[in-house]
Amino acid sequence: MSLLHAVFATADSPSSASSSPWHFFGYFLDHRSQDLSWLWTHTWLSVVPVIVGLLIALPLGWLSRRYGWLYPPMVSITGLLYTIPSIALFVLVPPLLGLSSLDPLQVPIALTVYSVALLVRVVADGLASVPEEVNQAATAIGYGRARRLFAVELPVAVPVIAAGLRVATVSNVSMVAIAGTIGMSNLGQLFQIGKDLSTPTAYYPPIVLGIVLCVLLALVLDALIILATRLMTPWRRAVPAK
Amino acid sequence: MKHKILIAGAAATALALTLSACGSSSSDSSSGGGSGTVASKLILGGPPEFKKRADGIPGLAKHYGVSFGKYTVTDTGGPVTVNALKNGQVDAADLFTTDPSIEANHFVILTDPKANFAAQNVLPIISKAKATDGVKTTLNAISAKLDTAGLGALMVKVVTQKQDPDAVAKAWLSDQGLSTAGTAASGVKLTVGSANFPENVLLAQIYAEALKAQGAKISLKLNIGSREKYVPALKDGSVDLMPEYNGSILQYLDPNATATAPDEVFTALQKVLPKNLIVLTQSAAQDSDAIVVTKATAAKYGLTSIADLAKKQ
Repeated sequence: MSLLHAVFATADSPSSASSSPWHFFGYFLDHRSQDLSWLWTHTWLSVVPVIVGLLIALPLGWLSRRYGWLYPPMVSITGLLYTIPSIALFVLVPPLLGLSSLDPLQVPIALTVYSVALLVRVVADGLASVPEEVNQAATAIGYGRARRLFAVELPVAVPVIAAGLRVATVSNVSMVAIAGTIGMSNLGQLFQIGKDLSTPTAYYPPIVLGIVLCVLLALVLDALIILATRLMTPWRRAVPAK
Repeated sequence: MKHKILIAGAAATALALTLSACGSSSSDSSSGGGSGTVASKLILGGPPEFKKRADGIPGLAKHYGVSFGKYTVTDTGGPVTVNALKNGQVDAADLFTTDPSIEANHFVILTDPKANFAAQNVLPIISKAKATDGVKTTLNAISAKLDTAGLGALMVKVVTQKQDPDAVAKAWLSDQGLSTAGTAASGVKLTVGSANFPENVLLAQIYAEALKAQGAKISLKLNIGSREKYVPALKDGSVDLMPEYNGSILQYLDPNATATAPDEVFTALQKVLPKNLIVLTQSAAQDSDAIVVTKATAAKYGLTSIADLAKKQ
């Protein structure tokens, strides 16, 4: 790490107040505990809403698959939720739900709304992607409706649902940052700090650091979902018999 | 009455309106009255609500007969406004008196002899339940040492030199002899909040560090946002203590308030505070709005006071 630091430091003027974009690593080292605690809250704020959103979207998605007439209204109404500007939703959630105005729950609740918006369609389409022969085969060997859903349809739909989860997770990572502007502690605070200190000239280190950490976080979460999908769908790697 | 004007005038030097020299060639002075005046050739930049605020465009017209050729919305005394003034997109700007970029860019603060801008003394606003005698003593000691020049110097450290606000706060407290450990506030649990601009964050850190030294248990909630967001938080107890500016918080709580002199503002403020909140002794430090111009603009039109903007050209 010290080598890495040295590399970045040489690309940089010696001043600790350097505003070179490359100084982000030095800035990180100077504010490590603060940045890491923001990274941690940013992580759970990005992940928890997707999990809760998926739990809500599963029954909604199943309903709109089971009763075909429900699909168009369900998908367009939940899809519309996605067009509410996130800052408006963050500010609206506390009065609507009777939370105190700085309740840290307002951000995960708002993001859950977006996750549901993305995932209802994905769950419905995922279930629709299960080949009809598979369903018939399951029924033929005596699977009831519920058992067929959990043991056959959902596992087979995993790749489609996982693709939606990846989109929802990555978009949450970027949306959480917006909550930084209303004082919620997460990586968005780095952008606020960068903006505040960009006078008289631009001050890049906290802004670049925020972008780098958000991108890294998104990549790691994305990789985890891919890995989990692989583990849950071993049959996809099966080699066809010769 | 004269006495009042004098006090208000002194207070108002704290508020700077910055005018830039460049870029006024394209201004069209077709709008409104006051055509032919210096102001009618200039573009003013500032926050969105400045157009309608009592001490904004209407106040400038009422007190000085000044109406600008055009108003451009920038931001609230932040980098957008400073850069617009520096680059000549606006000729004059509504900035804050403790803004280090005023000095850094050699901007000129136009004096406000008629006290259009209300006093903006820094003071702590705190929930009654948390304002024990020890907490009050600690915060009052800070207010006693804080003045506009001192606050400006601290802002140079934070904004220009990019030092961390908590480090700057600690250093200032120890310079002022306010960091000695004590037990005045021990056992008190406080959430200290701040609005989302560097000076307010710094002041919150000063309060927090001083109270910590006196044994209080502090949690921080910085960069909450604007008053629309943090005043409800103060009311419902999500935040217990915040640095405020007497004029702005008065205007927020009572949009019809007319007081401008520091003591009048302080008295008026006591009457409109929400029941669970009090304000403590105010400091001499003022961070008020001011009309600021660039040095070149000031020289070109001979500007030292806002009143000079009403001169016929």
